[in-house]
Amino acid sequence: MSSDAKTSSKKKEGFLRRQVKSKSDPVTEEELLKKDVVTPDDVLRLTKCTEKYLCPPEANIYGIDFTRFKLRDIDSNQVLFEVAKPAPTYENEDEEQDLAEPDEDPNSGRFVRYQFTPHFLKLKTVGATVEFVVGEKPVNKFRMIEKHYFRDRVLKCFDFEFGFCIPHSRNTVEHIYEFPKLNEDTIQEMVRHPYETRSDSFYFVEDRLIMHNKADYAYNGGTAAS
Amino acid sequence: MGLLTILKKMKQKEKEVRLLMLGLDNAGKTTILKKFNGEDIDTISPTLGFNIKTLEHRGFKLNIWDVGGQKSLRSYWRNYFESTDALIWVVDSADRMRLSDCKKELHSLLVEERLSGATLLVFANKQDLPGSLTAREIREALDLDSIKTHHWLIQDCSAVTGANLLNGMDWVVNDIASRIFTMD
Repeated sequence: MSSDAKTSSKKKEGFLRRQVKSKSDPVTEEELLKKDVVTPDDVLRLTKCTEKYLCPPEANIYGIDFTRFKLRDIDSNQVLFEVAKPAPTYENEDEEQDLAEPDEDPNSGRFVRYQFTPHFLKLKTVGATVEFVVGEKPVNKFRMIEKHYFRDRVLKCFDFEFGFCIPHSRNTVEHIYEFPKLNEDTIQEMVRHPYETRSDSFYFVEDRLIMHNKADYAYNGGTAAS
Repeated sequence: MGLLTILKKMKQKEKEVRLLMLGLDNAGKTTILKKFNGEDIDTISPTLGFNIKTLEHRGFKLNIWDVGGQKSLRSYWRNYFESTDALIWVVDSADRMRLSDCKKELHSLLVEERLSGATLLVFANKQDLPGSLTAREIREALDLDSIKTHHWLIQDCSAVTGANLLNGMDWVVNDIASRIFTMD
């Protein structure tokens, strides 16, 4: 973990202040599992990836459903990865249609496994797009916090407030960001140890956790190990 | 990519800038957003919610919100006013039939308290279409010269060709920057 933020006294830097707080006052997954309501501040204080989900799928009472994910390399303008939830009519996707909800494994929709090539770790600027639909209720203060880890090291933390979402809406968000700079040793380690790079995505409505999704990542695609 | 160019010019003062793009349906808001970001514009369907782009660069953040312009969605626009640094009003310059509607909607936004400090850019879009009105004609039709409450500029542009998008965005960011600088 880097320590450069610790000594900072720049009060104006909200981001740094938040980092300092999250580091100085850590919380464990076990503590949060006991809570009735998990808040943004809670998950910001987590220092590693969770093993369990911090809320049940039923906590999503707003019918929020992620329908598309896309990743592009901004420098070359190439789409690296795109997945959309299959709609009933594939060719002619209608905005109003309800998408089929798989109901076998309750966690099936909450976990995704990604396989990338080592090249992925050398990208400079990427754009990550998510598309989601909202049910019949208006959603207030919708906020996403996504933390990426390699083992117990935080690689990247997104914290974004969408605010209000219109009932029955379909929305997209693209986060364009610089890929965290990783040294060669870390890159090698990440390539050699697939699925030890993981992420937690937490979604809040009015500061209450309503969705928790997870992903893990391999970067050995196209190499001998895969 | 347009956004990065803009963001590189941002200074220490503006750590997070929020732009809100509104206009009647079919004005070309999403096309502007996508074209400006180097994305494919062939498969754009009506926005039934919002499209957001967020850009992070050396600790600076630029957020652009494009909210659907259909009549049924306009009553929700107010939910996106908070903390807006600039309003980008997009006009279909070829849609002569709805110019009065366009004028009415724009002027109703300008009296909103939460938008009172916002810079206003009007994009006279679709200049590539034959029969489109010029920026000067749009300026008159929307009665922009009556606006005394906001810094404003009208910029002719074409989302399809990308013409003048960067000019407009450049002006917006510079105007916000000078305003924030003066306030300090």
